[in-house]
Amino acid sequence: MGTLDYIWMGILAVFQGPELFSLFGLPISITLVMILCGFLTGIAVGATPGLAGPVAMAIALPILISVFGFTPDALLPVLGFLIGIMKGATVGGAVPAILFNTPGTPDAFMTTLDGYPMTQRGKAKKALRVAHFSSASGDTFSDIVLFVCAPFLAILVEAYLDLPEKTALLILSLSFISAVIGGSPGKGLISTGLGLLAAYVGTGEDFYPRLSMGQSELSRGFPIVTAVLGVLIIGAVLKELEDLWRTKRSSGTLPQHTDDGDQRLHGADIRRLLPYIGRSAVIGTAIGALPGIGSTLAATLGYTVGRARYVRKKRPDAPAFGEGASEGIAATEAANSSVSGANLIPVLSLGIPGNAAAVFLILAAESIGGFNPGPSVFRFTADTVNPELVIAFGLFTAMMIANILNWTIGGLFMRSMGVMTRIPKQILLPSVLLLTLTAIYVQETRMEAIWFALGFGVLGYLMRSVSISPLPFVIAFILGGNLEATARQAFSATGGDPWFLFTNPIAAVFMAMAVAFILMTARRKNTTV
Amino acid sequence: MSQASRSNLVIGLLAIAFSALALFAWIPLDTETGLIEKVRRQITVGDALAPSVAAVFVGVGGLLLVVFERRAPNQPVLSTENLLFVLRLLVVIAIALLTMRFAGPAIVWLANVIQGTELEYRLLRDTVPWKYLGFLMGGTIMVFGMISVVEGQLRLRLLFISIAAVLAVMFVYDVPFEDLLLPPNGDV
Repeated sequence: MGTLDYIWMGILAVFQGPELFSLFGLPISITLVMILCGFLTGIAVGATPGLAGPVAMAIALPILISVFGFTPDALLPVLGFLIGIMKGATVGGAVPAILFNTPGTPDAFMTTLDGYPMTQRGKAKKALRVAHFSSASGDTFSDIVLFVCAPFLAILVEAYLDLPEKTALLILSLSFISAVIGGSPGKGLISTGLGLLAAYVGTGEDFYPRLSMGQSELSRGFPIVTAVLGVLIIGAVLKELEDLWRTKRSSGTLPQHTDDGDQRLHGADIRRLLPYIGRSAVIGTAIGALPGIGSTLAATLGYTVGRARYVRKKRPDAPAFGEGASEGIAATEAANSSVSGANLIPVLSLGIPGNAAAVFLILAAESIGGFNPGPSVFRFTADTVNPELVIAFGLFTAMMIANILNWTIGGLFMRSMGVMTRIPKQILLPSVLLLTLTAIYVQETRMEAIWFALGFGVLGYLMRSVSISPLPFVIAFILGGNLEATARQAFSATGGDPWFLFTNPIAAVFMAMAVAFILMTARRKNTTV
Repeated sequence: MSQASRSNLVIGLLAIAFSALALFAWIPLDTETGLIEKVRRQITVGDALAPSVAAVFVGVGGLLLVVFERRAPNQPVLSTENLLFVLRLLVVIAIALLTMRFAGPAIVWLANVIQGTELEYRLLRDTVPWKYLGFLMGGTIMVFGMISVVEGQLRLRLLFISIAAVLAVMFVYDVPFEDLLLPPNGDV
């Protein structure tokens, strides 16, 4: 089995999987249909303020698992649907940002700066076309980088890193995530530490389930869905409802817009936008490849770099950035969309989720089984078939199909989604809460799971209220078991050397970097005060 | 957000206190083995090591907040008013969940009393209409209650919208799937 054989098998796994129906004699696989459904759902969800890709992923996961079961055949349809949501939500987030000055997703905030002024000038459709073209370009570029980089990085990790180095790499990742997410290393470390502690409740190798305080409910530990959905989704719902109540935002009439003049995107427009899209795509991809740094930072940086170029290049009569420049939309949308593909580089090559969408992909893979994202996926075995590698190339194929859908029907569907903005948040959010709790119950089938999730939701709300990002908590919760298992193995493999993280040169460098990241970020915070 | 807020200092001190409590009380008292264990002349990692590292993370985070970030600008403020609002939401959710859990068995008990039958909810929990009773009542209380808390008023129209939302959730999770059980039918 060569590399090309694996790539071909991955493509075939998507196109020749279980057939749903045939079109003009051509069999249409269930995976293809699921990618399409996920993509359209993602656009609708992204276009709805108050919802986001992770919410739809959380609600869909138990349904998907119930439909497809826990067999290897379920992996590609389920992951294809989730990837479709991830990509669709990125595009859809621009719709309310442009039409109603309300970002559908947090990373679309910068899109409002130029998108809404264009709508006010009667150029809403053109603004949506610019957003879609830039978003699809950035996303496609990012995916290509993922396809090239993830296998190489994974092979390097497998070739050069042994157990002590892998342990140190996990610690380095957690330290990096703590330092960069939320902009406060102190709060990031607290979030990470709490996530690890929660992961260790009711687990361990002894007969007594540790940290369970003698309670039978805690002795099985916290189910992963309760922690992830509780902190990420329920916490967000509570915080959004509080914000809604606090600002007393009425659900009154939404502003109307009318289209005026030429709304098409011409070749000249595209040539003018490409330098901005290119720069932002590179920025977004570089940021996305680092675990934990979200698309919001990428959008901000892309916008800032685009603005610097625009000041030098703009025509005298063209509107400035922030006053309806289509280049501003292009710079923002290309940057935030190019994060999504690159964010899967640490997931597939290291098994470390970098954002909430990646968390749900790992959750799906763990629930179904047969695919463990990490460096072992990219073992190009010659004599036997590595099924995980076939799935990985199947995922890459699914991403490209989603991109093709994005380029072909994405723009049209996106432009028809303005209606989603009219759903009042105060009705939508409680329904989302009920959906989330039901999703948790149908997976765990015990009421205590709902209570756990509610507890984690309160924790997530409190963390958001004091500006502690919940994402390090979730990532630490997911990686906690793996970190301990790797450390135990490394400790045994080094003959019980308590200094195994410091006696190995690469591990020592990783540990030094972990400490340096935290201290440097903390010192910078101190000097900027 | 307030310039004068000292919330970072408070969070830092709380984190340090929690870390100390975990390191010196919770973890030692609630794990069977220590940090490092010697079993049959072999040294292994004990169950207390990983939680201790986690607690150290929390403590170091708190220390960084106290030392480096206590004067950071735009520190958040937790207002009592906001907390009370969320508490109201949580009370509504708790009532809804308790209704969800006990409404079905309670109605079966009532039916037994009135009709003199000997029905058991456990045996009826996968049959219509019994399997929907708890979810429909609890879910409606949850959605309608939360909307009403946010809007500050009770409106009949919102009740119908809430019922429709709950019916939609039931349709999504229950109607197409025979193997999925709505709460609380999996563990009553």
